[in-house]
Amino acid sequence: MAKVLVVADIKEGVLKGSTAELCSKAKAIGTEVAVAAIGSNIEPLIPDLAKAGSDTQYIADDPGLEAFSAGPYASCVVDAARQFGADMIWFGFSESGKAVAPRVAAQLDAACANEITDVTLEAGRIEVVRPAFTNKVVQRVKSNTDKLVAVVRAGAFEADEGVTGSENVVKLSAPAPDAKAVVKELISDATGDIDLADADIVVSVGRGARNQEGVDLVKQLANDLSAGFGSSRAMVDGGFMPHNKQVGQTGKIVAPSLYIAVGISGAIQHLAGMNGSKVILAVNKDPEAPIFNVADYGIVGDLFEVVPILREEIKKVRG
Amino acid sequence: MKILTTVKKVVDVELNIKVNDGAIVEEGLQYVINAWDESAVEAAVQMKENHGAETTLVSVGGGDTTDIIRRCYAMGIENGIHIEDPALEKADSSIFAKVLQKVCEAGNYDLVITGKQAQDTDSGHTGILLAEYLKLPCVSNVIGIEVMDEQHIKVSRAGDGGTEIVELSLPAVVTVDVSINEPRLPQMRGIMMAKKKKIEEMDLAALGTSPDDVGAGAPKSEIIEFMESEKRKGGQKFEGDAAEITAKVVQLLADEAKVL
Repeated sequence: MAKVLVVADIKEGVLKGSTAELCSKAKAIGTEVAVAAIGSNIEPLIPDLAKAGSDTQYIADDPGLEAFSAGPYASCVVDAARQFGADMIWFGFSESGKAVAPRVAAQLDAACANEITDVTLEAGRIEVVRPAFTNKVVQRVKSNTDKLVAVVRAGAFEADEGVTGSENVVKLSAPAPDAKAVVKELISDATGDIDLADADIVVSVGRGARNQEGVDLVKQLANDLSAGFGSSRAMVDGGFMPHNKQVGQTGKIVAPSLYIAVGISGAIQHLAGMNGSKVILAVNKDPEAPIFNVADYGIVGDLFEVVPILREEIKKVRG
Repeated sequence: MKILTTVKKVVDVELNIKVNDGAIVEEGLQYVINAWDESAVEAAVQMKENHGAETTLVSVGGGDTTDIIRRCYAMGIENGIHIEDPALEKADSSIFAKVLQKVCEAGNYDLVITGKQAQDTDSGHTGILLAEYLKLPCVSNVIGIEVMDEQHIKVSRAGDGGTEIVELSLPAVVTVDVSINEPRLPQMRGIMMAKKKKIEEMDLAALGTSPDDVGAGAPKSEIIEFMESEKRKGGQKFEGDAAEITAKVVQLLADEAKVL
């Protein structure tokens, strides 16, 4: 039986939803599933890791792994992959996954694929589907080796409630820190915020908001909806929004039930980050803005006028 | 300090890209410098201006890349290498990284700056693989570089939980995000001078390697076919009285889309 090692996505001590999604997909294609979990004080997550759909949990739990560092994290994944005999290693869509996956591929002499949306495994032959050219086309890619390391695009796989696993813990030894790339500090810019990757609703703000006052106005809408609060590149470059809130090809990829784009014109790089959303609402004063070409619902109007009304009307229907 | 930047010639993704019979339709395509690599070039030029670094760029494949390399010369890059070889036709990122490894071994660079990904493949592998092959420290998705001394740089990385500050011992590899800087527009004087500058054209043999040596005959992955992506269609767009249309849309979100 083929084996898939899913690298658990853990943020601030919480197991993210992508881990269950990847485990469900791995089981759906008939593989044996293990997870590798890396961090500090993560042993309390073992029941969650099993419940997500894994039958073996490789745990690297060490104070030295508290801050993300690609080298040591890759060593842990390689260690787990070798012990498990993994045919495929899957990462959820995150900056750490994108940084670690190619290292693991190099060390295991495996093929590597970023942002996959589907994967098949037949008679030992691995094929993936992934977007290319800024999401304008998709490509089918085959691995010429019997090992593949992949980063899975956000929202590509769904968690199956029926899938479950069992606890079988293997502890990994802590790797040496990377003496040539020393992590000095983490400047957290969003502690306590709703994580974009997990949010059921995402509200994003664009250039149309013009200034901090505009950003704050749109943020109130996000707060009302308990939504993730994202941004177009323009507002990040303008210094109004932190870098890790940027939705798009170069930042976060999101696929919520509802995506509300406020004052965002819809450059292809932004669309590449949110066009997997189930429903898109766009608010923009330019009726010709490209965002309306992908939006299920569009309101043509000035966001400074529309957003307060939107908040009121949403309060009415949500009661 | 010697800096190498890598530059890829890629399809302009702002234009239409069509698929026919599993392949990208060549007709009508335009080629440009990869946006992330342009930021890598700008970062290198800034280090030349501020710290007296020597700057070299290398471009692998892409056919005639003269226009792109000259553009980088006009931005301030001093030396340019273009590597083209028929054996690289089916190269994947691991093979490109192996070729770059040979370039690095020949040039003794202190710092390699690559774009974090290319806008055609959107893979983001090459720079990180290069660092692995060279066994050098590497930080990806870099949004700031600060020179500490001849042997150390401090970089900011856009990570999952915020900005990570990492001190790197040189030699090292960094892959940069477009938000690290605003690449300069080449000025007329630079453009005129760039025209006179030589580009070092090489094949694998001239680089002191061979197709087998870089694994050119055995890519780890291969594209089977391209397909059209599912295109979203615009839905209902409302214009007019803001109060009226906003109320209408909220009703639709609740009753029709059932997402509120």
